[in-house]
Amino acid sequence: MFKNEEMEINLGPQHPSTHGVLRVKLRLDGETITHCKPIIGYLHRGVEKICENQTFFQGQVWTDRMDYCSAVANNLGWAEANEKLFGITVPRRAQYIRTMLNEFNRLASHLIWLATHALDIGAMTVFLYAFREREDILDLNEAFCGSRLTTTAFRIGGLREDLPPGFEKMARKFLAKFETCLEEYENLLSENRIWKKRTIGVAKLSAEDAIALGVTGPVLRAAGVPYDIRKAFPYAAYAEMDFEVPTQTAADTYARYLVRMAEMRQSARIVQQCLDGMPEGPVMAKIPKILKPEVNEVYHATEAPKGEIGYYLVGEKGSTNPYRFHVRAPGFINLQCLPKMAEGALIADIVAAIGTLDIVLGEIDR
Amino acid sequence: MPTPTLSQSLAITLIQCVLVVLFVFVVVPLTVFAERKVLGYLQQRLGSTRVAGGHKGVTGWMNRGMWKWGRIPVLSYWRGIPGLLADVLKLILKEDVIPAKADKFVFFIAPALSMVSAVVVFAAISFVPGTFFIFPSWFPGLAGLPVSGGIADINVGLLWILGVASVGVYGIVLAGWASNSKYPLLGGLRSAAQMVSYEVPLAISLLVPVVLSGSLNFSEMAREMAIGLSAWGLVPQLLGFLIYLTCGFAETNRLPFDMPEAENELVAGFHTEYSGMKFGFFYLAEYINMTVVSALAAGFFLGGPWLLPFGLQGLFNHLLPAGSWLAGPHAIFFVAKIIFLLFTYIWVRGTIPRYRYDQVMTVAWKYLIPMALFNLLLAALVRCAV
Repeated sequence: MFKNEEMEINLGPQHPSTHGVLRVKLRLDGETITHCKPIIGYLHRGVEKICENQTFFQGQVWTDRMDYCSAVANNLGWAEANEKLFGITVPRRAQYIRTMLNEFNRLASHLIWLATHALDIGAMTVFLYAFREREDILDLNEAFCGSRLTTTAFRIGGLREDLPPGFEKMARKFLAKFETCLEEYENLLSENRIWKKRTIGVAKLSAEDAIALGVTGPVLRAAGVPYDIRKAFPYAAYAEMDFEVPTQTAADTYARYLVRMAEMRQSARIVQQCLDGMPEGPVMAKIPKILKPEVNEVYHATEAPKGEIGYYLVGEKGSTNPYRFHVRAPGFINLQCLPKMAEGALIADIVAAIGTLDIVLGEIDR
Repeated sequence: MPTPTLSQSLAITLIQCVLVVLFVFVVVPLTVFAERKVLGYLQQRLGSTRVAGGHKGVTGWMNRGMWKWGRIPVLSYWRGIPGLLADVLKLILKEDVIPAKADKFVFFIAPALSMVSAVVVFAAISFVPGTFFIFPSWFPGLAGLPVSGGIADINVGLLWILGVASVGVYGIVLAGWASNSKYPLLGGLRSAAQMVSYEVPLAISLLVPVVLSGSLNFSEMAREMAIGLSAWGLVPQLLGFLIYLTCGFAETNRLPFDMPEAENELVAGFHTEYSGMKFGFFYLAEYINMTVVSALAAGFFLGGPWLLPFGLQGLFNHLLPAGSWLAGPHAIFFVAKIIFLLFTYIWVRGTIPRYRYDQVMTVAWKYLIPMALFNLLLAALVRCAV
């Protein structure tokens, strides 16, 4: 009389907790997920191909629009990849400012992650608190380069301009209150029984699986692998900074939460060091008006808030445009582990899994 | 006191109904407004705490007054009203979409079921025992007649309340079913399971006042629980209150148990396909249900129309001078308790995340039901021994 049937359901592309236009095809047995397949491409703009048709100087604006929550980190990777290609040395002051802005950006990106992840699990107050602090970081972006989200912060060879007057004061004011803000979030979440019930043991991904799938960033570090490009292959001014790479071993959603919260503290520490040890000097190297590459190809990886963002650039002799441009987007690679995390779990867990991966569809689809 | 004729009693009942419906439809928009404001202050939202209209007209005058009189919080409470007005207008004016494949009749009847079952419960709730007020002598036709504190102070009041309130689950299940769509179906199924599960500990925790007071009549139970118990009654009452309130949150689908409409999983749960005033009915029903649950908690555990909760009034009444205003029952105390509980709803919503569906069920069956049964045993012991 009654028959059992699996129900196929589309989570997205219009859904409140897929963080954009991710579509996940789910097959459900009751509330249990038996099959999960992420479908991407709804936001594909062909960023890589567009960049191949523009000069090396023009490409940076497109990197803003990949992971729009961490535009500065994308800019940094792009600028450094180009500097590697052309053999340019960036002045030390510019390196420090880049490092500082990059860490501010990491804070902003992690705050967005915290906000949306907590909202997905139902804690709506954290959402608004985190956005309140992010607002201050966006103000800092605005003070530095005029735009808040899509920053185009750097130039190949350094910075367009030095820090504006008053920037240091703003930054120090933010740092002074940021620690109490972090404590505020942790008071609401860390020891909250419901938060722990919803996150501990949910969306597990072991270190072996994470490495096999190429996962990087906080998701990998929460599995106990202390791989952080800032430490492993220091770039910008990270070699001179004193910071730790927080890791956890539980490899679940709660561990990733702890790792990211600890990372925010480390980022604040790095910013503090940049402000204290800011060297004097020029912010722009002497570079020619037109850049034509000498080396053939480079790959440059940096630690974006979501993981390793790598830029692969191939230069053509005599051309002002890249011959080939490819981005190793951390969100794209990290999304691969979604079926591994979600299959066998409940429908509420996939929401936690998407949140904990911290994906931005602009970067995945490019 | 004159005895009313049949037509006079009908008229009085009608007036009572109008008063109660007025109460409900004043409290509900105020709760919605309070939700915006309280959440606004808890979460430092800007819209609901600052939006205040323009520079001209009445709002302009009030805005200028704000600056003149300083930033006195009480005077700024009206801020955010434009948001509320816009919300209400949107609900009323929005196009009412019925999905092509929906079961039209059931789709239509479901919100009405939710709403009606929520309002009808108020028939058995008495705001104050005995006479609420007496018609003044100038009142045509009803001069000198008393109006009691509840519409129908029936002997099986609690049974009526539980029975009618549980019809509300049909509204949600049918809405989920009739929409003929996947997310509402999941939401409807979840809610069926959740509300049926939580009705068990809810009813058991309400048996505690029944056992302690020996009645099913709302006003008698409220009186017994407030002033008729010994000090031993305190323990089952406190425990019962906590269990009842937890179940109440689940029955009204509020955080942390808002499974049926968990918006981050099921889009909007059972009312995904609803729009316009049909959605408004579900929305209203949720808030009326919150008021009902609060009214029951206030009546049975927080001392009803008496000042002190948990039967403390009965223990300390002899300390008050005889005939003191504080010693007697007043509707204002009852309403104040309802309002406090409604605030608690909003407070909890602003603080904690949502349980997962299976955890919700675990909480009901593994923790709340055994606790409620134990509490019932405790109440029975208190009743027998003292």
